[in-house]
Amino acid sequence: MPAPPKDARSCLAEVLEVERVGDDGVILSVRPEIAMLDVRASRFFMLRHEDARSPAIPRPFSLYRQRGRELEFLIKVMGRGTQALAQSRPGEKLRLIGPLGNGWPALDGDGPMWVMLAGGVGSAPFYLAIEQALKGMDGKARCGKDHVAFLFGAARKGLLYDVDAFRGFGVKVFTATDDGSDGFKGNVLQLLETLWSRGTLPRECRLLACGPERMLEAVEHLAQEKHLECWLSLETLMGCGVGICNGCPVPTRPDGPLGAWPNAKCCVEGPVFSTRDIAL
Amino acid sequence: MANMAVTVAGLELANPVMSASGTYGHGLEMRHFAAPASLGAWVSKTVTRKPRPGNPLPRIAETEAGFLNSIGLENRGIDSYLRDVLPDMAREHAVVITNIGGESVDDFAELAARLDGERACHALEVNLSCPNVQGGKLPFSTSPAMAESVIARVRAATKKPVFAKLSPNVSDIGEIARAVEAGGADGITAVNTLLGMRVDWKTRRPALNTIQGGYSGIGIKPIALRCAWSCARAVSIPVIGCGGIACAEDAFEFLVVGCRAVQFGTASFTDPGKIGRLAAEMSQLLDQHGIASVTDLIGTLRAPNVLAKTPGAPS
Repeated sequence: MPAPPKDARSCLAEVLEVERVGDDGVILSVRPEIAMLDVRASRFFMLRHEDARSPAIPRPFSLYRQRGRELEFLIKVMGRGTQALAQSRPGEKLRLIGPLGNGWPALDGDGPMWVMLAGGVGSAPFYLAIEQALKGMDGKARCGKDHVAFLFGAARKGLLYDVDAFRGFGVKVFTATDDGSDGFKGNVLQLLETLWSRGTLPRECRLLACGPERMLEAVEHLAQEKHLECWLSLETLMGCGVGICNGCPVPTRPDGPLGAWPNAKCCVEGPVFSTRDIAL
Repeated sequence: MANMAVTVAGLELANPVMSASGTYGHGLEMRHFAAPASLGAWVSKTVTRKPRPGNPLPRIAETEAGFLNSIGLENRGIDSYLRDVLPDMAREHAVVITNIGGESVDDFAELAARLDGERACHALEVNLSCPNVQGGKLPFSTSPAMAESVIARVRAATKKPVFAKLSPNVSDIGEIARAVEAGGADGITAVNTLLGMRVDWKTRRPALNTIQGGYSGIGIKPIALRCAWSCARAVSIPVIGCGGIACAEDAFEFLVVGCRAVQFGTASFTDPGKIGRLAAEMSQLLDQHGIASVTDLIGTLRAPNVLAKTPGAPS
């Protein structure tokens, strides 16, 4: 039976800082009362402001950045839950449940290049991904800076949250906006096609993607068509994050390793899935 | 330290805290959040005769004071439960109550018979009241005759204690309580979720794929409390309170109106570790109030005299 990770805990975390980013985002820094060190990129936490105004159910967020015991989350303010988190003040306590989920596979430097596709706040699991890839993961060969490309797409420039931080790694960073206000005019997949056709990026690559559902469906389709290895970090609606509410099923491929059951639980079997295992 | 032990239908429990079915996994998946011994009993997710993939997305939606779900009893069926779940639970010192669900009286009877020989399963809770199957018609929990016949068949198929989980979506829950008692139930769990719905007026779409679903969480506590009280007044078998319980004080309210144990449900989604601390928090609160045993609270409601004379008061 799928179960929550053994290192996951439910505890309080002290708010350290809330920094505005982009048109509608914040970076929320917290210090949990239990140390959670070296969390793998694209694992996530459930967060909730325990005041009377907040919704009863916590929200899932990828870990954006980690500095020792401090955890940072990139949050797009969309509804009551994210609003309450964005309005939290230094010193206040939040409920923090995690680390949850599986995280990206080992981003090694041996195989084809890693191409990371982010849509809007889908950039959240990529900061740590790049940092960990450059350091080396699971004892495997570390990635050189030219072995990673980060393609960041959004509706407009103001939604390319914290993009300069990604440029700071020295990896290849490309941006795309629907309105052309920054970088390539179009979506992130059209950008990828353009970079392929210009020879800027090799067609043989491994894809990682996180973003809106329609974008992920398109990436899944592309990976199948071009026979590329591809992992998606899903943003399925979640109730509990720990596998107990059954609210976040992801359809599995009958011929894949998860095919014994028609649904995988996004929270405990994901949020990262190989496109060989699921069918969006 | 206050004495927390309770006996419910012959089950000797270390404390009156149980997980509510469908809100704390199927087996002991959550043991890293709550030690097996910290709960009086672990109640499984509903097990059905055949595997059920559950309802289409979206299955969950939040409301102002709670949570809507239409999971649709997703589970891998009794064969998988007996093979993959129960053996693991047998290795722990945990009291296990297996919740069973069916589409026919025969389904319930068969499930009860198959679990009867399983030592790791200590009791059965019969889910008469899932609102997310058969179009929310609730055939087994809205008709006293049907409820009685399901329980009677389960009773005949097992020697284990049998609890009937009732629906609040009825006009007189006391009548259903009396029917399951007549059918041979050893206890009652009151209550399952309320039928509810949410819509987005801008898109005109319902929040759940099934349109209506089961409403749970803190918003239903007053209704659940009233139902539990009505059941406790209607029958002599023990009642387990369930619905909106999120803290020790909530649990005590259910004990005062006559429940012998309580189930902690949707609040586990807010903090999955809370259920494992609840009994200790209850014990501390009893100490603060100089109450020696949790059983001293059970059925101690001081009803105003006027109630007996009020026409139409719930029986």
